[in-house]
Amino acid sequence: MMAALAFAWRSLVRQPARATLGILGVAAVGALLLDMLLLSQGLVTSMQDLLDSTGFDIRVAATDPIPGEPDIADGATAAAQIAELPSVRAAIAVRTEDADVQVGTAKPTRATFVGVSGGRARPWTVLRGADIAGEHEIVVNQYAADAIGVAPGATVSLKAYCFGGAGVAPAVPFRVAGIAEFPFDAPDQSGVGTTGASLADACGTPEARTADLIMVTSAGDADAAASAIAERRPDLRAFTNSQAVGQMQQRGFTYFRQISTVLTTITVSFALLLITVLLTVSVNQRLGEVAALRALGFSRRRVVLDVLFESALIVGIGGLLSLPLGAALAIWLDAILKRMPNLPAALHFFVFDPQALWVHGGLLAATAVIAALYPMHIVARLPIAATLRDEVTG
Amino acid sequence: MRITVFALALTGAICASLAAQESTIPSILISRQLAELEHIAVGDQVQWATGGKGDDARACRVAGIYEPTPDPMRLGAVPREVRLHLTDLLELTRDDATPAGTEHVESINVALTDPDDARKFAADVNARIPGVFARRAIGAAGAGTTFVVLERFHFAIAAVTIVAATVFLLALSIMLVDERRATVGVLRLIGLPARRILVQVLLEGVLIAGAGALFGLLLAFASEGLINRFFQWRYDTALIFVKVTPSLAAICLAIAVPLGAVATVAASWALLRRGGLRLARR
Repeated sequence: MMAALAFAWRSLVRQPARATLGILGVAAVGALLLDMLLLSQGLVTSMQDLLDSTGFDIRVAATDPIPGEPDIADGATAAAQIAELPSVRAAIAVRTEDADVQVGTAKPTRATFVGVSGGRARPWTVLRGADIAGEHEIVVNQYAADAIGVAPGATVSLKAYCFGGAGVAPAVPFRVAGIAEFPFDAPDQSGVGTTGASLADACGTPEARTADLIMVTSAGDADAAASAIAERRPDLRAFTNSQAVGQMQQRGFTYFRQISTVLTTITVSFALLLITVLLTVSVNQRLGEVAALRALGFSRRRVVLDVLFESALIVGIGGLLSLPLGAALAIWLDAILKRMPNLPAALHFFVFDPQALWVHGGLLAATAVIAALYPMHIVARLPIAATLRDEVTG
Repeated sequence: MRITVFALALTGAICASLAAQESTIPSILISRQLAELEHIAVGDQVQWATGGKGDDARACRVAGIYEPTPDPMRLGAVPREVRLHLTDLLELTRDDATPAGTEHVESINVALTDPDDARKFAADVNARIPGVFARRAIGAAGAGTTFVVLERFHFAIAAVTIVAATVFLLALSIMLVDERRATVGVLRLIGLPARRILVQVLLEGVLIAGAGALFGLLLAFASEGLINRFFQWRYDTALIFVKVTPSLAAICLAIAVPLGAVATVAASWALLRRGGLRLARR
């Protein structure tokens, strides 16, 4: 076996240009294949990670896990009812609107305006300064802070544009308590967070208690907590993070799964075809040599194994090279796709998954074997005497 | 180009016009997928309500069935949609505390007499109507939108595929040229200059690359309909998945033919630099 491998290696080394190009071709195709495999589940994995990173494992909405219409009419009350459940550790009601934030008469920035009511948990992480402690305090994300030039302690004027709010909401002064990171913000999106009451006040409807969704942290068993919530509030729908991702997968993520499947199929077929052609032409050029080896006593199995190992070496070395190449390509492609509007900065299309690596290896191994079948057949059926005679007379 | 201005306000609605209804029973349009799913036909009278229990159910008549605008980002989701007059929607969704005519709408599309005024008009609306955000519709379809990004992504994938194909092509060319080493050696020995052989190789490369590119285009044209029909059936959509346009075909030819020719010449170059005797030697 080792002798056959060594012989195949020598066959490759003897033709360095064609061997190098074959390996580079496999590396390029393998890199694309790896990326398509990463893409097939990348967005789902990334979204799951993003949802889990917020510390909330259940989302409660009026109809749908993606915040939208209709609102939960009694958001704060519903959050309080849910928080009382034994299977729930914390629950907060979240309302999201738009707002213009400005300092004095300077140019405003249009921001996503998040209001939170209920427990002490917050759907943001404070980076500098302090969290909101009272009414008419806000945290802003770094993009908003840079856009309007504020730091913790500054006072800004905020004009909200709210669903169901007053027709002309007043500009309300807010104190910037800190700079925070909002997990679902796009890189070029201003974000502002405050209490639900302050947001309602800014909307000009201080009595409003609506919420887009309620974010819940379970006591440990998310499924049990979701069932308990559904029982307590049958008018609302509770989704665990996995269920929410499943719903999104059905709607928005299908495109990338499909393109990944199509390109994986094309890539593997492409690699298969080209390696078959490379090996077949290579074997055809060495028919005389193979016949001579057979005449010298090399068994049929041995010369067939030589071809198989040659294929395995080309695909194996190319496959190994494809890993770093694929990683670099994934970074580039991810950067392209992340230019989509309103995409959270923490969301990625290509996420490393050990399973994808196994599938990548399996597909390349299958390619190596299948691509070698025809050249192996040629070598196995080679008539020794006739080939040698042709070689001499030709 | 017709330019509209979006005025985004505060609540949602899905409707097409503000025309008043003369009939007592509102008329609606339903998506083809919903009609097939629920076995609804034009002229049927259906009940619709805002809640699952149907407490506020009202009757309406199906005036027509429409094909929803395909959305690639919602591939696989069956569009169960209804379109109705805004007045009918507001009538159904308005709460008791909201007087008729004071409801919120999500957006207003405006067609200007002079489309060039769009920017000025949007600025004017923003200044005059607080609480409303107006912008040019053309801005919403600018360089940063989803489809432009997807196009760039596809272009990047195509670039990687071309690189891989070029490498393989070079490998194949080297093997084929190597196979003709003796023939080239004899040609050199009988007096043909290297330049003459190179031109012949170049022409051969152009012919083979041209034939290959044409075959590829024919394959693309032939499979276009099949691919579209399969995926339209698979996802129950009118979306066109593959479209081979003349410009796309021209780009493919412009890339494939020179690439094939250059690969052949590059592979032959090293061979032609050797002497005729060395090439002819077996």
